[in-house]
Amino acid sequence: MTELWRGDAEGKVLYVQTHGISDPGRCATPFFLAAAAAAMEVEVAIYFTMYGPQLLRKDVVDKIGPKGDRGQPLSYFIDQATSLDVRLLVCQPSLELNDLELADLIDGVEMIGGAAFNEMAMQADAVVSF
Amino acid sequence: MSPDSSTVLDCTGMQCPLPVVKTAQAMKRLEPGEILELLATDPGVEPDMKAWSSRTGNELVEVRKDGDVFHVLLRRT
Repeated sequence: MTELWRGDAEGKVLYVQTHGISDPGRCATPFFLAAAAAAMEVEVAIYFTMYGPQLLRKDVVDKIGPKGDRGQPLSYFIDQATSLDVRLLVCQPSLELNDLELADLIDGVEMIGGAAFNEMAMQADAVVSF
Repeated sequence: MSPDSSTVLDCTGMQCPLPVVKTAQAMKRLEPGEILELLATDPGVEPDMKAWSSRTGNELVEVRKDGDVFHVLLRRT
């Protein structure tokens, strides 16, 4: 069973990403901020809902970036965050909305549900949504 | 100005969040009491390092701007 928060850090921040591949300029900022928070020794997770799960598709992460063909691809920002132990969370209805299965997504994405999301939000010190 | 024993981390030209991320990683490699000198050109580095040090309990010793380069001294606690 997936744990909610590990509880081994002083603070917890939960980011919520609702934007997908149609607006690449909005794809990377949650990963920047999550990386910065993780560097502050805070426990961090990003929850992808609505169109957000599109950003975690294996066949997408190297093909889009916040500045299009200029600058780094989305995978660079995802790796930066996950290398600092930022967790990536999705829920089943959002996968269905986007006709996706967990196997379509990059490795390491965790499945949670609506109750778990709400409980994580209530336990977090901050919830930041995009 | 910098103590002789300081480790220098050059983050000039890097944008948020890299100076913060690299500082956090570099500080973990220091022993308590040791100083890290961060060099950065990101204009947000001073408030970022104030927030980072306050949150992590490390000491922000000094922030000095030399031309376009911020020199940030941090002591590992």
